[in-house]
Amino acid sequence: MTITVDAIRACLEGVIPSTVATCAPDGTPNISYVSQVHYVDSAHVALTFQFFNKTHKNVLANPRAAVLAIDPQSAARFQLELEYLRTETEGPLFESMKAKLAGIASHTGMAGVFRLLGSDVYRVLGVTPVPGRKLPSPTPRRNLLASLRACSQVFERSADLSVLLEHLLAALEAQFDIRHAMVLMLDAPGERLYTVASRGYPQSGVGSEIALGCGVIGVAAQQKSPIRIMHMTAEYSYGRAIRESAERAGMGGHLETAIPLPGLADSRSQLAAPIVAAGRVLGVLYVESPEDQRFSYDDEDALVALAGQLGLAMRAMQETEDTHEPAGTLAGRQPLAKGAPVTVRHFAADDSVFIGDDYLIKGVAGAILCKLLADYARDGRTEFTNRELRLDPRIRLPDLSDNLEARLILLHRRLAERSGALLLEKTGRGRFRLCVNRPVQLVEVPRPG
Amino acid sequence: MLDAEAAAFLLRPGVSLAAATCDESNVPRIGRCVGCRVSKDRSSVTVLIASQQYQAFFEALRATRAIAVVCSLPSTHRTIQLKGSEAVIEPLARGDVDIVASFVDSFVIELASLGYPEDLARAYHWCDPTELRAVRFMPAAAFEQTPGPGAGAPLARSA
Repeated sequence: MTITVDAIRACLEGVIPSTVATCAPDGTPNISYVSQVHYVDSAHVALTFQFFNKTHKNVLANPRAAVLAIDPQSAARFQLELEYLRTETEGPLFESMKAKLAGIASHTGMAGVFRLLGSDVYRVLGVTPVPGRKLPSPTPRRNLLASLRACSQVFERSADLSVLLEHLLAALEAQFDIRHAMVLMLDAPGERLYTVASRGYPQSGVGSEIALGCGVIGVAAQQKSPIRIMHMTAEYSYGRAIRESAERAGMGGHLETAIPLPGLADSRSQLAAPIVAAGRVLGVLYVESPEDQRFSYDDEDALVALAGQLGLAMRAMQETEDTHEPAGTLAGRQPLAKGAPVTVRHFAADDSVFIGDDYLIKGVAGAILCKLLADYARDGRTEFTNRELRLDPRIRLPDLSDNLEARLILLHRRLAERSGALLLEKTGRGRFRLCVNRPVQLVEVPRPG
Repeated sequence: MLDAEAAAFLLRPGVSLAAATCDESNVPRIGRCVGCRVSKDRSSVTVLIASQQYQAFFEALRATRAIAVVCSLPSTHRTIQLKGSEAVIEPLARGDVDIVASFVDSFVIELASLGYPEDLARAYHWCDPTELRAVRFMPAAAFEQTPGPGAGAPLARSA
């Protein structure tokens, strides 16, 4: 029976370094340890190319290579016969290996020494087990395919995005024992991701932001590729990612960090799977754990499958909203609220909104709230449709395909968490109500200049 | 001939050893070593490898006699590589089985210090003692291979 590489992926996690041998054209063999043999697909692997590397030099002249890999649970050994194809120095494979290598480096005390220059991609010509003694493999916690199937049922049961996200994160815990997870949506023009749902953190962190390309979440979105780290690494920690993101944004970037990202302070394993539909990145499904090596290749496959389903579900829901949204405006009114008035300030420069002195939200969600409050102040309207938001020039949706529902979830959650004075309520497909519990004084702060 | 420091490192308890050769078509083959000897004058190195586990390695070695051996201490990442030609396959010498036992015991202790379970380190080196062969060669070159900018530099050689 022929073994394919996917069957021995556990050997390729870098837990026990593999050995790689190559051969110069004059027949001189070379052997070294390699920190990472990366599984690409069932017929390809990639090796890290770092600093000076005789392996790399040899395969450019003679493409044949041999790898000896060891299963970290069973100690089963396998010989891989390889043929060098190419070196990638950027893109999804490179970034995925770079992140994983950073974790390995950090775990083995080699942070700052290991540096990925390229991903050397090889075709796998054969996988042969080395005869020997194996340890019994521990019984897995669960069959992950069964977990995946059970988890997928949330897509049949959930009618709207807010409920779907809540059910999905709950199912990740119930089916995969993943206790810390969040969903972030991409704000494409802003080149950032914002949190719309989370589970397993003291603060929801809804509305927190991370720049594209920063940390495992930002890199997964940027590269449209899952990123998985098996050991804590400072290089991909939130602290650093968020600091860099704020620095990049310059002086005006203080609001980027106003809502803390709800990450674990002691996160040791991280996995970010891009939510993709029709080739476009919509967001990222992110999970983490305080345990080392918590997420395997199989977990990665499961999360990628779920993120793909989530992408399709988001797109389908949006199309449904678009076709079923009631046309025109709704006339519902609410008696004017009583009590001490609350001041809501809206800064036109970045659509940031403050309730009293507290920052609420900015960007599209801020613009939406401002429109709702302006309409309420003008004629007491409290019933609104998604469709009118899409068409309203004041809101400046980035583009037609922008996930408006995600923006509304964000606004809904922020209001619920930060203010009792204002709330949003979904009243049906493509429609919602603004609940004003205290009189509102809306103050417009125009753009400077 | 090896310098005294490199020879001592090869024999240091806890190191991991692996050998490579290539066949007549320049296809590389790997064999894991479970022990090592260095001659008194440091002119020859002998590594112990199980023949049945690494058949392709032995077939290629018989054909080309070219060899490279990598030696690494997991706890420090210190790594060196030796290269030689004219390698010969010999039966075990007296004491070799004890060398293997001691090599594996030391490796178990080394890996335990890094948090790896003992049974894993033992299973990883398991071989049938009757299958063991000694592979002797004269090191013609030695290289520093510790990860970092110095990797690949030739080790200083004693005359």
